[in-house]
Amino acid sequence: MTGQDRLERRYRRLLAFYPRSFREGHEEEILAVLLAGAAEGRNRPHPAEVVDLLRRGVSMRLRERWLRQSAREARRARWLIPLRAAIGLWLVVLTGVLCFFGEWWAPVLLLFAAIHFFLSIRLLKSRPRPPSPG
Amino acid sequence: MGIRSMQETTFLILTALAGGSRHGYGIVSDVEQISERRVRLRAGTLYAALERLSGEGSIEIEREEIVDNRLRRYYRLTPAGGERLAEEASRLHSNARAALSRLDPRGGMAPT
Repeated sequence: MTGQDRLERRYRRLLAFYPRSFREGHEEEILAVLLAGAAEGRNRPHPAEVVDLLRRGVSMRLRERWLRQSAREARRARWLIPLRAAIGLWLVVLTGVLCFFGEWWAPVLLLFAAIHFFLSIRLLKSRPRPPSPG
Repeated sequence: MGIRSMQETTFLILTALAGGSRHGYGIVSDVEQISERRVRLRAGTLYAALERLSGEGSIEIEREEIVDNRLRRYYRLTPAGGERLAEEASRLHSNARAALSRLDPRGGMAPT
């Protein structure tokens, strides 16, 4: 095994810290840049290069995980939109019925109805924003 | 990009691509030359920036080549990327001009 092969194997080991989606698209390309930039006769990555690859790889992985997680949460939150709207509507109807039977305090329920409507609209509008990459 | 100013590495990468399409290592050497050997991009930093810039639509892949069994992907500036770079360059230019005019010899603080 030549020094170049050894260097390449070490770089590949570092690139394993990147998410699979990035490696599938860019591993060969980034490897070409790393090897082109390595000094002649070098068989170990420069320490600063090691730190850079670890940092970027891990932060890309965390970012990807965050995006997946927030997509999952957004899907889950979508369920709550009709549910909250229905509860709000039900409270409005209940207030009307209670007022009809002379319960003077019933309009207080409208406050809770408003909270449910407000949260439902906010969920409808909210879109998760990814953290900016390092 | 709005009010937030661009990072220097981003600015230099876009400037390198303003001179025509380049592959990864081509960008590294061009940035080194533009910055008069002050900035040497690391591969991890370069690809984090390229990912972000393609996501934003400032750059795009132009073509791919295999040279010595190694993949080379060429990137180029999109019209939107060119606009962003032009805006940032004129902002930097006007700031630099203001600074230099205040350091004018007549003001008694000549830059060396």
